[in-house]
Amino acid sequence: MEKTDVRAVFEKKGRAVFISHLDLFRTMQRALKRSKLPVWYSQGFNPHIYLNFPLALSLGVSSSTEFMDFSVTEDIDHDKAKDMLNSVMPEGLKIIALAKPVHKNQDIGYAEYDMKFSSERSPEAMLEELNGMMSMETIEIDKRSKSKGTVKMDIRPYINIIYTDISGNCLEVYLRLPAGGTLNINSNVFADTFSDISGISFSGVCAERTKILCKNQEIFM
Amino acid sequence: MLKEQIESLLLKVKNPSRYIGGELNSVVKDKDNIDVRFAFCFPDSYDVGMSHLGMKILYSLKNKRENYWCERVFAPWGDMEALMRENNIPLYALESLDPIKEFDIIGFTVQYELCYTNILNMLDLAGLPVRSKDRTDDMPVIVAGGPCVCNPEPIADFIDIFILGEGEEVNLELMDLYAAMKKQGASKREFMLAAAGIEGIYVPSLYDVCYNNDGTIRSVIPNDPHASGAIKKRIIKDLDSIYYPGSFVVPYCEIVHDRAVVEVLRGCIRGCRFCQAGFIYRPFREKTADTICRQTRSLCESTGYEEVSLSSLSTSDLSDIEETLTQLSEYTDNENINLSLPSMRIDRFSNELMERLKAIRKSGLTFAPEAGTQRLRDVINKNITEDEIMNACKIAFDGGYTAVKLYFMLGLPTETDDDIKGIADLAEKIIDLYYNAPNRKKGRHVQISISCATFVPKPFTPFEFEPQASFEEITRRQKLLLESIRSKKRVNVSWHNYKVSILEAVLARGDRRLCDTIYEAWRLGCKFDGWNECYRYDLWIKAFEKTGTDIDFYAHRMRSYDEIMPWQHLDYYISKEFLIREHKKAMNSETTPNCREKCSACGVSVAVGGACFGKN
Repeated sequence: MEKTDVRAVFEKKGRAVFISHLDLFRTMQRALKRSKLPVWYSQGFNPHIYLNFPLALSLGVSSSTEFMDFSVTEDIDHDKAKDMLNSVMPEGLKIIALAKPVHKNQDIGYAEYDMKFSSERSPEAMLEELNGMMSMETIEIDKRSKSKGTVKMDIRPYINIIYTDISGNCLEVYLRLPAGGTLNINSNVFADTFSDISGISFSGVCAERTKILCKNQEIFM
Repeated sequence: MLKEQIESLLLKVKNPSRYIGGELNSVVKDKDNIDVRFAFCFPDSYDVGMSHLGMKILYSLKNKRENYWCERVFAPWGDMEALMRENNIPLYALESLDPIKEFDIIGFTVQYELCYTNILNMLDLAGLPVRSKDRTDDMPVIVAGGPCVCNPEPIADFIDIFILGEGEEVNLELMDLYAAMKKQGASKREFMLAAAGIEGIYVPSLYDVCYNNDGTIRSVIPNDPHASGAIKKRIIKDLDSIYYPGSFVVPYCEIVHDRAVVEVLRGCIRGCRFCQAGFIYRPFREKTADTICRQTRSLCESTGYEEVSLSSLSTSDLSDIEETLTQLSEYTDNENINLSLPSMRIDRFSNELMERLKAIRKSGLTFAPEAGTQRLRDVINKNITEDEIMNACKIAFDGGYTAVKLYFMLGLPTETDDDIKGIADLAEKIIDLYYNAPNRKKGRHVQISISCATFVPKPFTPFEFEPQASFEEITRRQKLLLESIRSKKRVNVSWHNYKVSILEAVLARGDRRLCDTIYEAWRLGCKFDGWNECYRYDLWIKAFEKTGTDIDFYAHRMRSYDEIMPWQHLDYYISKEFLIREHKKAMNSETTPNCREKCSACGVSVAVGGACFGKN
């Protein structure tokens, strides 16, 4: 059967941050079914809607740029299809645009996060701790790997803090971390490491993924 | 607003999406325009409760009324409950995230005895006293319905109002009454007295129970002129035209039955003597093929579910099952929707049916012979023959299945060692059948799983008089079964925990005095009793001892025909004469034909105007 690939850019915010990656898969399949778009089904004994998420998002993290690929069996108007999908999306999930995929999953190299930390310490004190951590030569963490179990790893070279800001009682940290198949460090790992090294127990950590970038720093699309 | 407080805890618990609402098709209203707020509680976890059809029906039905708002509430799992208590978050409803303590009515659906302690725990978590008498006028009215309330006596101290039978009409009548009396500024007691006048409503505090010296019941007498002598359950006359939801709330996390469900019929024509559902849901009523197809289509379109199941006690008893399946599969095949058919009888198992089942990738087939010999199957009125079992297995094997699961019960009335050995013999015959099949694929072996429950006598069944077999006797029979199996490699045997079945037996036929026992068990820490990892038999035993409750009296005693049962003042249209007649027939291994063949005069036909099927 003829099929055309479509890439959806969507946001995952509010209560939708509590949808796990596996549950998101099912949620999107059902939304596509409700939309009545001519979605392509895998051909087999048990046909199901084909879906690909180029980069998974951790539970609890919101995002303004998530990606999801599916295929259609006939040409669709991307704007109309976007509206059809949004009319059946649950709260917190919203399609921003549909487009033909440009990059491949394995092109992904980085993701950027906007993180807000709050604790009993003042934002200034948290910032000082952050600067202290970032001035360390190595930041060693235990990283789980599929093949080798837990391994020690220095993540200092991979943390790229783009800017920090103090807003109210929060310390805002905007940073870039490696993402994708080769090396993936998600925002939770950063937050946990920050907490471990500084000894601060955060009362709140809000993280939002704002960008996904290719290995060559181009915007993934 | 609790929302922020709740959200701050969610990343610390398993499956957080079940505690925050916001699911597709959940109904959110402006509480300022609402006359009655109803908290619909399922006293088990979200994954179990969200699979329950009755809740989906009543949720949508109530919310169709603009001025009523029905919200969902489930029992939080241990990790969440601990955080809620630690942070002083009271039990809240998923739509508004408001504490249910602020609601007008809190309703529990009581599907199994093992959730009783969860009801107490949820009331407590809501910040309410668990006993009715300790709750004041400014607190919500607590109501309960569902199959277990056919004997609600063990939880009578905790619930203000019981709703007997089918809920579609009576729930709205009760809410209408509440709305009217709230406007008049009536007290809770005044409301309860007025509610007692609605058919299907049972207010337990309006009845006094007296006991004989031997512990049996002497009388159940109304203590108020508003209370009637016999409380009738409610029946929906026309199932085809009764309200059915056009959409379900679609959860994010995986739940037990994660699919669209269309109820195709109510009641059962079979009359298996151990089966409470087969009696308390009578009479048999069904939907037409057109209605079933329309409802399927609407549900699938609004939910996006990739599977729809036709639900009932015995779906193969639908009169125009073939026409229904033909019509339905035209739609479902086209839309890539799987059609699943649970609860099919062995004697209706066909090639065509199997092909449909295979399409949804089931690894094995499950049949329920319930007993190992024809004699015992006749005693329980299962009305299937060994030939029919063998034929069903043959079709399954010819169709490529190599695994068959068989359900049995141990401890059925009149069961002998021969009946136990009969289970093993049946397994061996099925194995022989497999290896003797001419076109069997070489090198593939058969696997038979035998799963044994322990028989629990239930109210409103012909076996309500019967004792449950003792722990020692069940253990001996389990051992005998294991020893009787010769092909140990091909057959595996499992059973339900007897210590759970015995609690079920005590609670199912218990009386009001058990309220104290349940209270004590909950106080000691019992909750989620239906979950193996949570069940604390040792604490229950403590509760029985502390309250001086004799397990044998409730579970292991033969009750005489003239004993007043704790539920005898509740009228489920199943006459005691019928139950006695059926019990005597059972003792003589005599079967009773199904309702379609011949009316057995159970008593329900008066409720539908004389005859359940044409002219009987």
